[in-house]
Amino acid sequence: MSERANTFLRSCVKRAGRALPLCTALTLAACGAAVPPKELMDARSAYTRVEKGPAANLAPAELDTAKQALARAEGYFNDDGDSPNTRDQAYIAERKALAAEAQAGLVQAERDRASVDEEFRKAQLATIDKTKAELDAERRAKEATKAEVARTQDEVARQKDEVARQKDEVAKTKADLAAEKKAREDAEKRAAAAMASLAEVAKVKEEARGVVITLSGSVLFATGKSDLLPIAKDKLSEVAKALKDQGFKAIVVEGHTDSVGSATKNEELSLKRATSVREHLVSQGIPAEKIKAVGLGSSRPVAENNTPDGRANNRRVEIVVTPDR
Amino acid sequence: MSTKLSGASSCVSLARRAWVLLPSLALIACGGAAIPQEQLTSAQAALKGAEVAGAGEDPKAALYLKLSREQLEKAKALIADSKNEEAARVLDRAQADAELSLALAKEATAKREAAQARQQSEELKQRIGK
Repeated sequence: MSERANTFLRSCVKRAGRALPLCTALTLAACGAAVPPKELMDARSAYTRVEKGPAANLAPAELDTAKQALARAEGYFNDDGDSPNTRDQAYIAERKALAAEAQAGLVQAERDRASVDEEFRKAQLATIDKTKAELDAERRAKEATKAEVARTQDEVARQKDEVARQKDEVAKTKADLAAEKKAREDAEKRAAAAMASLAEVAKVKEEARGVVITLSGSVLFATGKSDLLPIAKDKLSEVAKALKDQGFKAIVVEGHTDSVGSATKNEELSLKRATSVREHLVSQGIPAEKIKAVGLGSSRPVAENNTPDGRANNRRVEIVVTPDR
Repeated sequence: MSTKLSGASSCVSLARRAWVLLPSLALIACGGAAIPQEQLTSAQAALKGAEVAGAGEDPKAALYLKLSREQLEKAKALIADSKNEEAARVLDRAQADAELSLALAKEATAKREAAQARQQSEELKQRIGK
């Protein structure tokens, strides 16, 4: 209770001493004033409640405003009792107290909001980090896949190249084989052709000592002469060509005569004739070191010497060819 | 001033105890108070402020908004009736109601926003999966 209220009571007592009826009326009035109006009761309880709440910390300025408003209301009440002013001020004071409470709620909500925002921000950062990590992992996986694909592609390309190379090799081998085969066939053809052309001008026989080409003496030489007849040169040129085509290891040119005349003369003549043939063959490109001439006279007849045909057969030049293989 | 009031002895003892009431009493004595234009404007502004802050959407704020509005109307009627002194007091109440309504509306808005933020945060946390 304020000082003013005490003063009021004291003055009341003094007055009571002087005039009792008046005093009674005043006391009644004072007692009536001592019963606070509803507004003041409400203001007091509101303030008391709010003061104990978070407003003391969160809304001190507003709480102070409410406190002052309530003090004003109490002042009016002490001075005037239950007057309209008291009621108005109490009404206002109650609302100030409630407003302080609301302000505390607002501040608390804002603080909550700030901490939630902070949490949210952290969560967002975490999300960003997580997303980044996921994207990174994805990117790395993609890169790995890409590298793997590239490696595989390289490997495939390499294998393709290898296959192509092997194909080429096979083709080349085939071509080589074909070329070889063709060369062999060509050689065989040439050999056959050579044999055929030889057969046209001479008798060709295969014997153990080699291929024997027999040329009739009458075709090559005039009687008793060792110079080749022009037609004989042509024929021997053919023979030389065939020999070169076929290939050989060595050639022996043998001169043979019939048994007419002395053996010595026959041997001389046969050697001369063989030498003429040899020289012509050398002139046609047969290597000199591979060919030799021998005169065998009548020592190796191939027919009877007692008939003209037999003697004609015995007069001959044999070219014995030792084959390459 | 005291010479003006010498006619009423009860008035004198009252004035001594409560100086605050003197001006209004003086005005009453002089034949009626002026229209409380300033208080009217202030209360109207406070009411408008509460409305704008969304006091109508929060039940508690809406209650005081209603009180304020009713008292403002009452004050206008009193002014029209030339009961200016009573009107001024009603306007003081209307002002206090409007201010409380605004505070409550702001509190409700902040709480709602905090709750929304909380919900968003929770949703985000759930999305992250922790």
